[in-house]
This record gives sequence, C-alpha cells and structure tokens, in this order.
Amino acid sequence: MTAAVTRSRSGRNGLAQVVRAEWTKFRTVRGWVIGTVAAALMLVLFAALTGAGSVQHGAPRVPVGPGGEPVTDSFYFVHRPLAGDGSITVSVSALRSSIPRGLADLRPGVVPWSKAGLIIKQSTRQGSPYAAIMVTGGHGVRMQDDYVGDTAGLPGPVSAASPRWLRLDRSGDAITGRASADGTHWTTVGTVHVSGLGPTAQGGLFVASPPSVHGMGTSGSVSTAVFDDLRVQGSWAGGDWAGDQVGPESPSFSGYPPNTSGSVTGSAGRFTVTGAGDIAPAVRVTLPTGGTLGEILTGTFAALIAVIVVGALFITTEYRKKLIHVTLAASPKRIRVLVAKATVLGAVTFVAGLAGAAVAVRLGERLARANGVYIFPVTSSTELRVELGVAALLATASIIALSVGAVLRHSAGAVTTVIVAIVLPYILVAIPFMPASVANWLTRVTPAAAFAVQQTLVRYHQVSGVYTPYEGYYPLGPWAGLAVLAGYAVVSLAVAAVLLRRRDA
Amino acid sequence: MPRRCQIPGRNQVAAAATGLEPGTAYNRRHESVSNPEPAAVSAPGIVVAGLRKRYGATLALDGMSFTVRPGRVTGFVGPNGAGKSTTMRVILGLDAVEEGTALIEGRPYHGLRHPLNHVGSLLDASALHPGRSARHHLLWLAHSQGLPARRVDQVIEQVGLTSAARRKAGGYSLGMRQRLGIAAALLGDPPVIMLDEPFNGMDPDGIIWMRGFLRSLAAEGRAVLVSSHLMSEVQDTADHLVVVGRGRAIADAGVADLIAAASRDRVALRTTAGRHATRVLTHAGATVAPTGRDTIAVSGLPADRIVTLLSESAVPFSEVSAHRATLEEVYLELTREAVEFHAATSGEVVR
Amino acid sequence: MRSALHAEWTKVRTVAGPLWLLLGAIAATVALSAGATSVVTCTSAGCGGDPTRLSLIGVILGQAPVAVLAVLIISGEFGSGMIRTTLTAAPRRITVLAAKAVTLTGLVSAAGTVAVLGSLLTGWLILPGHGVTAARGHSALSLADGPTLRAAVGSVLYLILIALLSLGVATAVRDSAAGIGIVLGLLYLFPILSQTIGGPHWQRLLQQIGPMNAGLTVQATTDLHDLPIGPWAGLGVTAGWAAAALLAGGLLLRTGDA
Repeated sequence: MTAAVTRSRSGRNGLAQVVRAEWTKFRTVRGWVIGTVAAALMLVLFAALTGAGSVQHGAPRVPVGPGGEPVTDSFYFVHRPLAGDGSITVSVSALRSSIPRGLADLRPGVVPWSKAGLIIKQSTRQGSPYAAIMVTGGHGVRMQDDYVGDTAGLPGPVSAASPRWLRLDRSGDAITGRASADGTHWTTVGTVHVSGLGPTAQGGLFVASPPSVHGMGTSGSVSTAVFDDLRVQGSWAGGDWAGDQVGPESPSFSGYPPNTSGSVTGSAGRFTVTGAGDIAPAVRVTLPTGGTLGEILTGTFAALIAVIVVGALFITTEYRKKLIHVTLAASPKRIRVLVAKATVLGAVTFVAGLAGAAVAVRLGERLARANGVYIFPVTSSTELRVELGVAALLATASIIALSVGAVLRHSAGAVTTVIVAIVLPYILVAIPFMPASVANWLTRVTPAAAFAVQQTLVRYHQVSGVYTPYEGYYPLGPWAGLAVLAGYAVVSLAVAAVLLRRRDA
Repeated sequence: MPRRCQIPGRNQVAAAATGLEPGTAYNRRHESVSNPEPAAVSAPGIVVAGLRKRYGATLALDGMSFTVRPGRVTGFVGPNGAGKSTTMRVILGLDAVEEGTALIEGRPYHGLRHPLNHVGSLLDASALHPGRSARHHLLWLAHSQGLPARRVDQVIEQVGLTSAARRKAGGYSLGMRQRLGIAAALLGDPPVIMLDEPFNGMDPDGIIWMRGFLRSLAAEGRAVLVSSHLMSEVQDTADHLVVVGRGRAIADAGVADLIAAASRDRVALRTTAGRHATRVLTHAGATVAPTGRDTIAVSGLPADRIVTLLSESAVPFSEVSAHRATLEEVYLELTREAVEFHAATSGEVVR
Repeated sequence: MRSALHAEWTKVRTVAGPLWLLLGAIAATVALSAGATSVVTCTSAGCGGDPTRLSLIGVILGQAPVAVLAVLIISGEFGSGMIRTTLTAAPRRITVLAAKAVTLTGLVSAAGTVAVLGSLLTGWLILPGHGVTAARGHSALSLADGPTLRAAVGSVLYLILIALLSLGVATAVRDSAAGIGIVLGLLYLFPILSQTIGGPHWQRLLQQIGPMNAGLTVQATTDLHDLPIGPWAGLGVTAGWAAAALLAGGLLLRTGDA
C-alpha cells in the first residue's frame, strides 16, 4: 500500500521521482557501477604510476625564488661585495648572441631576452633576491627584480652607435634603476624594495642568455656584451672584480653551447663578458624535469574512456533491449527522462571523479616528491580547482556520451564518436611538428579545450618559452576551457532532446 | 484472412520439403541422397545422456537423459527454468557440460561438418541483425553450409514469408520472426528438427499452422523435438513426451502411456448423494475422493462392481465412467514436485 | 572454412553498416591528412617533420571506424544473440573467428589502400604549396621512394592489424561498447602516457610497446635512428598485440558458453 501513498506526491515533483528511478537503474547494473569505480581507480593508478615511474634522486635541487616559484638563476656574474648603500654605473655598447645550428656551428642570432647589465643580489646562491637593470636582445632596457618583477625602460637595441647607460642605486632595501641614452640625461625606470638583501650583497655586471626558441624546440644560446665606463660609489669592498658562473649545475640551466664558456676579459672599467643561462622564473622548457598536476592526472584519459562507455551504455542498452518502452511508459515526458539520466550520470561521475582526483593528486605528489621529482608548486585553491575541474570534465564527458548515445542509439558508435572527439585533438596537439597556432586552435574549439582545467603552469612574458598545450600552457583559462566542453554537452543534449521527442522510441 | 492463403497445407508442405509424397519414410530418402557423411544408422535422432551443468550455485542440469526418435514429434515440456533451453543449447554445442553426452545421429554436434544438414534448430527467434532482411539472413546461413541461394527461396516460400522476405528483419512481428526461425531450421533439410518454444508469439492461425507443420515433418520421418512450458500447446501435436523438472527428465514416454498411467483404474462417478455413496463404497474397500460438486473419483473397485454396490444400496447416480486423465493433469502431477518457482516468487532462471 | 568464409562475406555485404564504416574510415583518414598537411609551416630551419608521415597522419583517426567495424562484426552477434545461430551453423568456433578475421582483412586492406593512397595524394598536392619542396631538402612524395612505399604498405598493414586486434578484444569481452572502449584505450592511452610519465626510460618503453606508437613508426621516413623502435619491428609489436588479442578471444570463444 505504500506505493499508493508515494504516488500521491508525484504530481508536484515528477522529476525527482524520475531521477530516483534512474538512480536505481544505474546502481543496479553491476557493470556500470564497476565502470564508474574503475574510472576513479584509473586516476589513482596512473597517478601512482606517474609518481613512482619517474625517479630523480640525486638531481641538483631546483632553485626557488623568494616567492616560492621555481626559477632559473644561472648567469655570468662579475661582482664585488657591497656592504651597505652604494651605486654602480656602466654603459653597454654591444650585446651579441650566438645560437648553435648543429654541432660546433655557432651562428649569430637574436635572443630576445638575452640580458646584459647591472645587478645587486643577496649572494651568488641560486634563488636569492636581487634587483637588476639591463639591456636585452629584443625588448629594450628592463628593470627586473626577484625573478618575476619586470618593468620596461628605454626601447630599442643597443649598439656601438647607440649605447645605453645603466645605473643602480641601493639605499637600504630600496634599489632604484635608471637608464640613459647619452650618459647625462637619466630616466628612472623603477624603484623596487628587495627584502632580505642583507648587510653585504654582491653587485656588478651580469650577462645571461636564455635558450633560443624556434618552433617547438629550443637550443642553448650564448651572449657577449661589451661594458664601458664602469663606476661605483658607496660601500663597495675593494679588490678586483670576480667573474663567476652562478648556478652552473642546475635543473633549470642546460649549460653552454659546445665549445663555449662564460668569461670576463678587460680592465680599467672596460669589460667584455660572455654568459649563458637566465635569471628569471622557470617555465616548462627551462625546467623540463619538473612535474605538474596535469601529468599526475594522466589517468584522466583512461577514466574518460570508462565514463564514456558507461554514459553511452546508460541509454543505448535501453534501446537495444527495448527497455526504453518501459521507461517511457513509466514516465511519458521524454525530456524529463533525459534530464534525469543526465543528472544521475553527471552526479555519479562527478563524485567518483572528485574522489579519484583528490586521492590521485595527493598520492602522485607524495610518490613523486619521495622520488626526488620537483613538482611545479600550486596553491591549495589551484589544487582544488584542478580536482573539481577533472571531476567536472569527466561528468560533462559522460553526459555528452549519454546524449550522443541517445542520438545514435548505438553503443559502439557513440563511444567511438565521443572518445575520438575528446581524446584525438589532444593527441594531435601533442604531435611534435604541429604548429603552435593549430595546437592552440584545437584546444580552443574542440572538446579537448577542457583539459585546460588541469593547467597549473604560469606563463611569463619575460621568458621565451614553448607555451603550447602540449607543454601544459593552454590558450584558454581553466574554466573557459571547461565551458567549451560544457557547450558541446549542452548542444548534444539539446539535439538528443529534440530527437527523443520527435522520433519513435 | 489473407495470411491463411500463404500457408501451405500440411501435405503440400511435406511435399515441398522433401520432394516426395507425404508419408514416405524420410530415413530411406535421406540415405539415398548423396551425402558426404556416412549415414548414422546406429542412433538416429537425438540421444541425450546424463547431462550435468551448473551456473554458479544453481544446478541447471542434473542428469538429463532422453531420446528423440525419428518419425514422431517429441514434446519437451516442463516448467520455466527446468533446463529445457539449456539442454537444447548443450545439444547444439553452444554450452559446455561438466558431465554427459548429447549425440545427434550418434555424433556430437561439433563433429558435424555441415550441421544444418543434420539438425535444424530454432532457439531465439529475435536473435537477428535488425538491419538485415530475412532473405539475406537465410542466405548467409545457406552459404555457411555450402547450400545454394535457391534453397533460401524454397524455405521462405515454405514458411509463408515470401512477401516480407526482402524487408529488414528489425521490423518483423514476433510471429514473422518465428517463421523466419523455422525457415532457418529447415534450410539444410535436416532429419532432426529442434524448436525452442515455437508457439511463442504466434497468433491462433499460426499455432494451427505450426501444429500441422510439425506433424508433417514427423510424418516425413524426421525426429522433431519441440519444447514448451504449456502442455496445451503440445498435447495435440506430440506423440511422445519428455517431461523435465529441476534439470532432469522425470518422464520419457508415449502420450498414451502417460495418460493411461495417470488414469490408473480410477472411475468417475456422478451422483447427487455423494455422502451416501462415499460411505457405501468406502465400506466395500474403495478409496474415494471428491473431484467436483457432483462428482467423485473412486479407485480400488472396477466400474461394474461400483454400479452393483450403488444399486444395492439405492444410491442415486447419473453416470459411471472410466476416468481418463488429461495431459494437463499428468503434467501437473509429474511436475508438482519439480516446480522450482511457484506463483509467489516471480524470479525465473533465464539460462 | 570456405563455406564459413562465404557466410561471413554474405553477412558483411547484406547490411549497410560495414560499407559506411569503411567509407568513413577512408574519409576520416584523408580528411585528417589533408588538414594536417595544410597547416604545415616551414621556417628557414626546415619544415620540422617527415612529410610522408604527416601525409599519413589521418590513419590515427581512420583507425577508429576500422576498429568499430571489427568490434561490431562479432559483438553485434553477441548483442543480438545471433552468435548462437552462427555457431549452430558452424560449430567449429575457431573457424568462425578465422573466417571473420579473413573477411575483415580483405575489407580493411581494400579500404586501407584507398585511404592511404588518398592521403598520399593530398600530401603530394598540398605540401609543395606550403614550402615543403626540394629546395628545403624534401623531395616530392613518391611511391617509387623506398621508405615512402614502406610507409604506405605499412599503414595498410597497420590498419589490418588494428582490425584484428579489435576483433580479438571484442570476441573476448563480447560487448561492443566495452570492446571499442578497450581498443581505443589501448590505442590512444599509450601515446598520452608516454608523454606524461616521467623518466626517458619509461617513455621509450611505452613508445615501444604501445600498439599505436610502435605500429605507426612504420610511417617514418626520416630520422630513422631517432625512432624508439624500428619501422618493421614497430609493426611487429602491433602484430603481437593483434595476435595476443585474437588468441585470448579465440580461447574465450572456445571455452565459454555461447
């Protein structure tokens, strides 16, 4: 008699009942429950594999800047101690870079972010705080501090005909950078506060030459700068200028091109300095050994296949076994049935995905760190975003599979269509010779855009890198990428709804 | 009734199927046809011996044994889940058994080179590709046996599917699918025919046609095994019955023998003075049981003795007759113990 | 075997699905190849790739309809129950599987040849317009060129092996959705895993054992010494996968109840 009692409530809230019915259907088919649990386990399993599979014991430590981010801190430094306040001035009349074109074939080239100038740094320890003013290969005069800070100064390249005068003034923690085109008229580029410089800092000339990016690849470059008219005032220690390579052994420094090395020559205020490396935040190409959450969550692809199979079967089985007739006899409002199915499937997949991702991220990070692998740091809110995003990605994909299944009424066809639509663009993106423009286009308009929810890497305008989806840099933001997939879900659900209403069951 | 016109009469069917006059012994004809396999004279028909099979904890077959002889329709009856379909799948080599053998013309199914020339079967009429037409379905089957396409058209005509043969099978009614399944079973003109629940989904016309058809197949000398869970479906068709329950044959006998056995020496008595009659007959040593409002069944006394006793005691009665059990009664009595699932439980073992 | 083959061939040609899937495989292969070759950009440093391989890249999409066809050819029968009819007609189950494999091989080799030739043709037409010319050290695509011929023939063989792999998997799991899911997982997960899993040793290993990565090395015509596995050896790996899948499918078909 309870059935009759329950039914009296049905008029008002029919959807809840259909949802409940669909939930009962879902949980009573063992294969679907297993598939969903398997999806969560895939995330964990592949995280464990990724974490345990890479071993970097004994690798040099990744230098970390004052802000906690990984940095490249490898450059040629011509320095003297500065025990207090003081200033330093120099002119730069040349900055030339060379890029190898093969073994022992060094050719002149432009390295946009090659750097030559003045720097005051806490110490020669990698990752220590600093402020610097410099001329660059393609971005004019810049004032930079603590790896991430960057301010533009005078534009234009430097040459013997058009040299640049640079000046740094230290007053306590405040360092002011100035530049001039003639040595008399100075403009202030910026004043920065560098905390932790300490009583005795190191100051002097530096040359850095980050890897040159061409297409999808990079090659180490080397740059040589000609400095003139070096003058210091204030609490500088006496003695000679010492030339040192900062951070010669570092995961974020690939070393000098063959047959080159850092050097300093000259005296009496005129120096020629050759250097390689960079003083900047590390990005993927400069820190290839670093791991990301996206890599730990590689299992997303396997999980995706599992949830797509379950999602498609959730509707196509009904057609194959003619169960749809029973379903529609029980709830004649067909759209409501579709919505209920999508709700149940999406919710179940989301929960399984979230559980899997949460465990996977923690396990993967732990295993990787235990193996000496450096993971690009993320804030806890970013980590939560990645986990929620993966769960949402899986849930949305399962709803797309459900919709395509309702349209095609054929499990194999639906499964293939959805897997190919979501996974194949990602594979194409990863093809080495795929131009960045195409890769970016693919990750903007195809369902693979949703993998942006996994991105945790930050791109820096002051670092030339390969900012492609393959390297972990997506053209769309995390939620925007997911929105693209959601758009596909909405469209496919709408098509399914229209066809479900229009066609015979 | 237009469909009626498409159904050939029993004798025409027989003639079409064999090319011989109805009633001609099938076995002889079969041996005379050039056939790559040596004719199995030792054990024609189907011999099933001691099949035992388990699905998990369920004992599906528990020593199933019976024989299907040529020239007669053998009814294979039993409640749902008694093991009929499983036995048929085992005979066809589809399911493996832990113990026992199932032989067709003395050989296991796997040993038959062109099996459809030896046994035609229909298990599940809806097991079709919905996008393929009936003709094409039969065509691939024919090709698998090296039979010509001509044979396909013959069987299509035989089962009365000609007008629908080129339509997609997905749109067929259950009755049409049954006919298509029968056509597939007839394709190789086999001496053994095995049909699982062929009456399912058939309309009354179809049922009448099916009965006649089965009888004609047996009349041609074929061994015909027909399963059903309803005795009424086979009682007018079968000559011989194998009654199964809980995975074993609980009776394997001729229909007449079964009825005789069940009837025993009971006498049906119609009287308005049931209580009086009971007292008189019990006193004389008979066993009496009421069977209806005015009827009682008497056993232990011959009919003439009963008449004498009742007349002597002045008990009024209107009828005394030898009781003849119906097949339904036989079936119910035999399977009473063997029924695994009573009405109260709704589950059914599917395989 | 001959009649089993005849029956399978009749089955395939009497429904519309296989034809459409094969046409779909051809269209998908050529379309992706055309798309990929038309976005090639050449810099002074070169065109950064292997023109033959790029022209044949459509195979990674075209293999999907091929896999669907192969899966459906057996799991469709399991789904409808028609497999019982098939096995009743031909009780030697391995013969049935072999007949299906041979039929598939025939169909896929025909469609694969068309798809591969079509892809090479689009590459031949499109690539010179994007600067992939002799001036940059790339000769025009030609089947007279040994490595290109090997890439073309190998691609057709690769598609056949993918079909056989799919057939084996589907025979083992007996369900079309699960079957195609497993097949596409095997194909597409290895390349993704090999990118993300740490350590060059693991990456190389994954590229050597993945049925798609390894098999498609047969398309390579340049930088052969940099390949994780040799072209024919790679195709051999795919063949190993196909053989293993068919073996597993065959054993399960033999022992399981139908």
